Amino acid sequence: MDAPVYYSKAEFIETDTGNKVSRRATIAGPQNIILGGKTIISSGAIIRGDLRRTGPGHAVVISLGRYCLVGEGCVMRPPYKTYRGNFNYYPMKIGDYVHIGANSVVEAATIGNHVVIGKNCVIGKFTIIKDCAHVADNTVIPPNTVIPALALFVGSPGRFVEDLPESTQEMVESQTKQYYSRFQPLER
Amino acid sequence: MAPTIHYYCPCQSGESVQMPPPPHMASSSASFHPLHSLFFCEECDAVRCNRCVSIEVSGYYCPNCLFEVPSASVRAEKNRCARNCFSCPICRSTLQVVASDPPDGGDGRPSVSLSNVGEPPFFLYCNHCRWDSAEVGITFEKPTGLAGTPLPLPISLHLIIYLTAQLQKFEDSAPESLEFERLKEHFEPFLRTSSLSSLSHVPSTSSHHLPTSSATAAASAALARDVPGVGKYNPLTRSRVGRDRTANKDEMPEYKSRMEISILGQLGSEGDGSDVEALRRMEIAEEIASLEQRWGNSWTTSLRTSDLRPLRIPLHSKVSKRCPTCRHILIKPEQKAQSVRYKIKLVAANYLPAMTAALPHTQGADATRRPQAKVPSASDDRNAGAMTAGKSYPFHLALTNPLYDPIQVRLSVQRMHVTAVTDSTAPEKARRTPFAVSLPTSSFPVAAFAEAWEYDDDDEMFGLEDDELGLEMGRTRDKDGKGKVKTVGVLEKRANVTVVGGEVVIGKEARGHVKFNMLVSYTYRSDDPLPSEDGVGTPSRAAVAKTPEVKTFTFYTVVDLGPILPREEKVDPDI
Repeated sequence: MDAPVYYSKAEFIETDTGNKVSRRATIAGPQNIILGGKTIISSGAIIRGDLRRTGPGHAVVISLGRYCLVGEGCVMRPPYKTYRGNFNYYPMKIGDYVHIGANSVVEAATIGNHVVIGKNCVIGKFTIIKDCAHVADNTVIPPNTVIPALALFVGSPGRFVEDLPESTQEMVESQTKQYYSRFQPLER
Repeated sequence: MAPTIHYYCPCQSGESVQMPPPPHMASSSASFHPLHSLFFCEECDAVRCNRCVSIEVSGYYCPNCLFEVPSASVRAEKNRCARNCFSCPICRSTLQVVASDPPDGGDGRPSVSLSNVGEPPFFLYCNHCRWDSAEVGITFEKPTGLAGTPLPLPISLHLIIYLTAQLQKFEDSAPESLEFERLKEHFEPFLRTSSLSSLSHVPSTSSHHLPTSSATAAASAALARDVPGVGKYNPLTRSRVGRDRTANKDEMPEYKSRMEISILGQLGSEGDGSDVEALRRMEIAEEIASLEQRWGNSWTTSLRTSDLRPLRIPLHSKVSKRCPTCRHILIKPEQKAQSVRYKIKLVAANYLPAMTAALPHTQGADATRRPQAKVPSASDDRNAGAMTAGKSYPFHLALTNPLYDPIQVRLSVQRMHVTAVTDSTAPEKARRTPFAVSLPTSSFPVAAFAEAWEYDDDDEMFGLEDDELGLEMGRTRDKDGKGKVKTVGVLEKRANVTVVGGEVVIGKEARGHVKFNMLVSYTYRSDDPLPSEDGVGTPSRAAVAKTPEVKTFTFYTVVDLGPILPREEKVDPDI
């Protein structure tokens, strides 16, 4: 029913698992980034997979689940801190069915499944967002905040406003799936 | 603004009236809800909303540390987290425990670090507004006995728990709190005996209930004594009357307050001289704590921002919901606080067909737009979605069947709405000219929901979707060109979705929104009343009838197709 969202076929790379990554997105350190499949990285997004934990061996810096959307102009950057005198980056884990609106800056440690983050948000370092939470547009979440499951956070600083309905999980799931199927190439 | 369809919950109307209020009234919005926020009671065969369900708390948790607090300790801890969770008194974000800067902090290392070499004065720090508890003199030193221990974190945590206790003690030791506790203590034996005696007591001829009257009499006597302004005649005479009647059970000891009320007034902050003085010397408005910063406190506190203390974080709760009439459980969450699963979840979305409305003339505009504008911006939508007065527009309604059986749906515009509108137009003719809505009059089928549609959508739906979309686009183009395509009737069927077309003819002087109540009734066959499937029908009835049975469920919705633009002559010269 909903109108398709068209993108120019030349701009996006589609992987075998259905990820669609814009050529205009800045993907730093792609070997450290995991996309779960059917995830869309919009143009202008910056994903800093290069900010990895110091030390030998392979390290996953940013992992995204299935049916995620990283909006236009988003910045995804792993959180960092100095612990015991050593500066270090820490991995960022994002679940399935997570939509992040345009121009948001995300430095969360963990984002659960079925989470919706609005446009122009700032998600502070080491924020933990549980399942089915919703961060409204233009919200600033200070570092180290915990957002409980099924909570709506609004404002600057983002504060709990209300509990979301019990059917949030199904709604977000169908919306994110629908968005992926609407996101169609336009041959030119 | 995209068109919306909200569903009606009859809880706001009386017992007899099952009709929703006319949609153009602002008060009607209280009766209509988005489908996903509604529940469905199988016993009553009725829609329930968040306003009418009864709620029971099934568990408490702290929204910051996510600790599940046993309900026994919730009351003792005054509904706040007793662990190391504090919110900033200024901006309400969560506070963090930090150590002080190392003495030689010349290397530019940030002070916000949980490093092993944390320097002794620990304090609470707000990451958002940079308030810290050292400002109000709350810091934590390492206890000397543990100075050599190489684990500063547990120590600071230990201290924080101490702070928690301190804060609660501070709260509990507020004069108002103590006075309140004392009052409760004082009246408790009396209330207990009076409630006991009132059970055996023969109702007297007096108009008011005696135990209540004597309790209030005692309270007002105490009030009359302590507060100089309150006259003595009224409470005392009444209490004497009460005493004469029930001399045996009104032997109330005189209540002695902890301290004189005048002293209390000085301790509190209720607009006394020091506050005036502070206001007089105030230089910036932030020196005075805002109402929002103060009203979370249990008792009256000082007006000054510098006197604000960190707050223990209030607990949240998980709730189960019950049908208000039959008490059956509609929502029962899992015990675990952060689980989003439910043991019982009877939501209306699993019973009623989901409906979405769309205006093809806006979709045509969307589709022809450049692919760069992927996110339709609000400003664009406002212009594209609006309808001009004096024209007619087709609209689409897509119905999605959540049931495992096919349904037959019949739509009709609520008749009451039309009369209501004509009624309202009589006095104010110019302002509210009605619009006419035509919908398919015959019933139409919506295919059953099959799990398969859910799972193979990714691979097979693509081609299908493309075809459909192409079809739809072609149709909209036709309409844009000629406008002589069938608009009213069933337009397309796929999977468990049926799209029907309707048309709205807007009067020339119409204003406001195209908003109308729509009655939806659907017929379904509940042929196998298995326990797993009985969600389809009312179990009580379904259990009796083993034979295929046809049932009808009817509900109201309100369809808002968007605002009507006043007529502009230059836009449509053909009219």
